[in-house]
Amino acid sequence: MASRTKQKEEARARRLAEERARAERARRQRRYQMVGGTIVGAIILVVALIVISSGGGKKETGLQTGTTANATITGINQLLNGIPQSGNTLGNPKAPVTMTYYGDYECPVCQDFTLNGGFSQLVSNDVRSGKVKVVYSPFCTATCGSPDPGVFDTQQVAGFAAGEQKLFWQYTELFYHEQGTEDSGYVTEAYLDGLAKQIPTLNYADWLTARKNPNYTATVGSDESAAQHLGVSGTPTLVFSGPKGQAAASEAVPTYAQLEQVIKQVA
Amino acid sequence: MSTVEANGSLQRAGTAERRLRIAICVLCLIGIGVAGYLVYVHYAKIKIICGANGGCETVQSSVYSKLAGVPVAVLGLAGYIGILFSLMIRNELGRVAGFGIALVGFLFSMYLTYREAFTIHAYCYWCLSSATLMTLLVILTTVRLLRAEPITRTPKTVPRAERRRIERRQAARR
Repeated sequence: MASRTKQKEEARARRLAEERARAERARRQRRYQMVGGTIVGAIILVVALIVISSGGGKKETGLQTGTTANATITGINQLLNGIPQSGNTLGNPKAPVTMTYYGDYECPVCQDFTLNGGFSQLVSNDVRSGKVKVVYSPFCTATCGSPDPGVFDTQQVAGFAAGEQKLFWQYTELFYHEQGTEDSGYVTEAYLDGLAKQIPTLNYADWLTARKNPNYTATVGSDESAAQHLGVSGTPTLVFSGPKGQAAASEAVPTYAQLEQVIKQVA
Repeated sequence: MSTVEANGSLQRAGTAERRLRIAICVLCLIGIGVAGYLVYVHYAKIKIICGANGGCETVQSSVYSKLAGVPVAVLGLAGYIGILFSLMIRNELGRVAGFGIALVGFLFSMYLTYREAFTIHAYCYWCLSSATLMTLLVILTTVRLLRAEPITRTPKTVPRAERRRIERRQAARR
């Protein structure tokens, strides 16, 4: 009898243990399904965020055509007309203050500074009045992180070639207005040509010839070396030189008021 | 498992869970401080405190500092607060929610760090700190989620007297 009771109890204990194990397995499977679903959901969400991040904040620009292009070059000419240019220098060569603008044509932060920061007001006020001149110095940042870093020299030489016709800054402004999607390899010959053809006063044939000048490629290289020697590490870097010395703007996209503060330190 | 052993395991599991929750809470509070500072700097338009060679301004001014017009710091702040609130939900759903938010934060932080290194070519120390915090949070929330095991005990459907007999016999056998 005792043996039979004992057997019953053991069988019950076994059954209970099996039930617990089954419940545990089911619970574990539910948990893994929840974790797996959470991981898949998280990845989908992050991919969506990356797509928005890569496309957001960036105008759907690239090369403009038609009335949009006309409006852009009209606005640029209004900003620059009447201001002397010499190569990559904008403004009176005898201006007491020089702002060296270390930039990369494909750099989105440079675009932000040029179009939305204090640059336009600086040109309209201080450059136009002869107080400041701006010298553009190429420094590879965004382009060097793109699929085609070798295009840096080519795009910069295109700007220098326009500078032979005192249109460097029209070309530079156009580039910043019509930047394409970053890291998409949008800077092609067609793109560079398209920018040049939007400048009504640019002699296209002379521009093409000037682009073949090997001195410009050498200038790009020497400008970069000089910038590295100076400690430039990002773009835009804005260095002001004047009678009182040298100072750099600390903000990446300084406002006009912030630029004025730096000018006061050196003028 | 005996009631004594079950209670011991419960205590140990409870202690581990409490420690994990405290660690996650501390990291979230630090993250709220970091993200909160970045949000403040953005809207107050003041200069961000940065190290000598830091590129905080460059990064914070880049197109990658905003997502559909919303500063990324605001999203980070929401993420840290979300993980903190998930600690208050003391069940599987709370643990999964905390893990999910931390995972999204970690993956997106890694993407932004990649952009700093290869696109912007400048580093924001505050952003790197937040990325480190999110990495730690995803580890801790994963551990918390996977370690949460119910203690195996004799089901209450078995009468109490019988449960005690079974447990006494099991103890005696040991």
